Amino acid sequence: MTDVEMKPEDGEKKEAEGKDAKKNKEDELKDKKPPPTPVAEIKTNVTLIERAVSTLEPRFTHRVLRTLTALRKKLNNKVLRDAIEEVYANADINSTPKSALLAWLPPALPQEESTMDVDSIPAPSPPQSRQSQPELVPECEVYFRLLILHYLLVSSETYKQAMDLGHETIQRIQALNRRSMDPLSAKVWYAVERAYELGGELADARPLFLAAQRTASLRHDDETQASLINRLLRSYLHYNLYDQADKLVSKTKFPTSAGNPQFARYNYFLGRIKAVQLGYTEAHNNLQQAIRRAPAAKTAPGFYQAVHKLSVVVDLLLGEIPDRSLFRHPVLEKALSGYFEIVKAVRMGSLSQFQSTLSKHAADFEKDKTYTLIVRLRQNVIKTGIRRLSLSYSRISLRDICVKLHLDSEEDAEYIVGKAIRDGVIEGRIVHEKGWMECGGQKSGYGPEVSDVFTRRITYCLELHNESVKAMRYPLNAHRKELAAAEGARERERELAKEIQEGDLDDDGPDLGDGF
Amino acid sequence: MAPSQIVALHKELQLAFGARPCNLQKCGLLLAKLKVGLIETGLLLPLGDTSLDNLVLARDILEIGAFWSIRSKDIPSFDRYYSQLQTFYNDYSSVIPPSPREYPIRGLYLIRLLTQNRIADFHTTLESLPLAADSLTANPYIQHPVNLERWLMEGSYSKVWNAREEAPAEEYKFFVDSLMGTIRNEIASCEEVAYESLPIKDAATLLFFTNQSDLVNFAQERKWQVNLSAGTIAFRKKTEEKVEIPKRKLISSNLAIARELEQIV
Repeated sequence: MTDVEMKPEDGEKKEAEGKDAKKNKEDELKDKKPPPTPVAEIKTNVTLIERAVSTLEPRFTHRVLRTLTALRKKLNNKVLRDAIEEVYANADINSTPKSALLAWLPPALPQEESTMDVDSIPAPSPPQSRQSQPELVPECEVYFRLLILHYLLVSSETYKQAMDLGHETIQRIQALNRRSMDPLSAKVWYAVERAYELGGELADARPLFLAAQRTASLRHDDETQASLINRLLRSYLHYNLYDQADKLVSKTKFPTSAGNPQFARYNYFLGRIKAVQLGYTEAHNNLQQAIRRAPAAKTAPGFYQAVHKLSVVVDLLLGEIPDRSLFRHPVLEKALSGYFEIVKAVRMGSLSQFQSTLSKHAADFEKDKTYTLIVRLRQNVIKTGIRRLSLSYSRISLRDICVKLHLDSEEDAEYIVGKAIRDGVIEGRIVHEKGWMECGGQKSGYGPEVSDVFTRRITYCLELHNESVKAMRYPLNAHRKELAAAEGARERERELAKEIQEGDLDDDGPDLGDGF
Repeated sequence: MAPSQIVALHKELQLAFGARPCNLQKCGLLLAKLKVGLIETGLLLPLGDTSLDNLVLARDILEIGAFWSIRSKDIPSFDRYYSQLQTFYNDYSSVIPPSPREYPIRGLYLIRLLTQNRIADFHTTLESLPLAADSLTANPYIQHPVNLERWLMEGSYSKVWNAREEAPAEEYKFFVDSLMGTIRNEIASCEEVAYESLPIKDAATLLFFTNQSDLVNFAQERKWQVNLSAGTIAFRKKTEEKVEIPKRKLISSNLAIARELEQIV
């Protein structure tokens, strides 16, 4: 198990994922030497899917789907057409899945008859297709449909077509109801959402998603369920419907077996909802999880930036100052520049700087939907200011506080300081008659709560270890081979010993050498 | 009830509502009748295609209902009208022309959330407003609650106090009293921690009380010690809680860790 990555991250599937990713990388490396044509790649993928179905190992399907992003960019009419022709080569030209698939592609070459008058053919009935060609599982057909969907989403003219194909594919998936199809169907849902979004009708897709989510949860179809919950949350948040999103979260249970990318999205959405509802600690936890589970910064820079933007704001709202190194990260540096200035203003506790930064970058923040959150930082700026004052002075008059923090009146200052004391921001008290604030001594940082924190960390590490052990995967019956090999070696040894005992050593010398 | 009857009743309601002073009792009766009418014609929660005029009519009735509830100080009823209006404001916003009363009502709802200290709901509602976030402050009806919330959060209570007369609409003042109650409690809880004692006169100014007896009553409610002869209020002393080492907890957690380590090795 040397290839298992041990990162300080949790998630049950991390181990298996890591191993898979490595294997995948090896595969890719092998393929890299002669760069595979997209058609060849699709063909390999089809065989992998078949293997996944026959061995009941969803891992292979996951591996196929991981190549989807790269493959998507290489798709074109010809590639798809060729791949379908080749994969379904031994099938009858009029076989239903093939012609149905080809019908979705725009006619390219005149000699291809199969594209003729197939538009009207309805979705093929599953039993028939299985009988006519038992060697191809329906998963492959769905995979092709998924590829075609992605291809159709590239240009704006075919959105309508993509939506039709999406609907048809979904109907087909739901009619087939095969568990081996779940990972594929999750991806199909993504494509459907994209079709709706590009068509500008995201809100209309909601009833469809809700119905499908219900079906998926009844069928224990975790992959699809995870995907759909994320689709719905995204749709709600896109229209700022935080109430509905929150209700959806409280009424559904996100499947724990969902993949990391889905989990990362889910955590991000949760973080967003919680941040709006002032649950900053929860938001912070969720965003941390999202960052850990997200793909590497270079692979998915958009998500990485979005999560970090929100996370910086939530950190500030919690009264923490994010690491400076974060803002030097190559992927984040540019995207976070506005946020960096806000952080500087909050750190200095300077209200005027905060206001000017806010108005300068208002449009950016508005675009990121963080504006209202950042406006809430105002009170944090004041609190930071008061804390700085309380640390540097043992006694300070309210008028000085007022001047230093650019507050409007002494009266305000008194209330604000009072609130800060109550909220535990500073230790101290106000002497009203003399009009000053006396700052108390700092709390000592050592007590039972330290051991609490320490225990929590240890428990976390132990849990991580236990989960990693649980998540390790062993190929079925792999140890048999080793056993057989060991058995064989022992056999040979025994024979050798026998020969040494019985035979003439000098004559059999060379043979013996072989044995060793 | 026939649509023509609803229109007639609506006219009557508008007259009754617009009259100065407005006839609350009559409005209430009319509203009850109109609501039944709306349910019968399927307009209370419209589904599918309904004619534009009918939608506007239904919205208008509900809006008057919302204002009427506030004037008659019936807050739960206001909540009901508000949630019924949601359909018209959100789902039909692209179909029917915007109503001039939309933002006053939304703003009122925000203030209502503030008075109950439901800050999380306040922010969720604020986010779902169909306005760009940086133009929130441009709308006077929304700006008022937004400012109030900011001052409350900062602790600039005197600004809240001073803003009570600057309400953008008549109905906003109905919430002022309960909002002041909320503020007083906030200030009181701050004072308990921040001061050891306060002269009665200053305490009254801080809590916005004009006469001393109100203050004494309030102090008794919060169990403060009022020393009338010295003219001061003493707050409860913070009892220094003794920090005890939770031995049992420490032992059990250490044992659990040891057990886990045993399993690993």
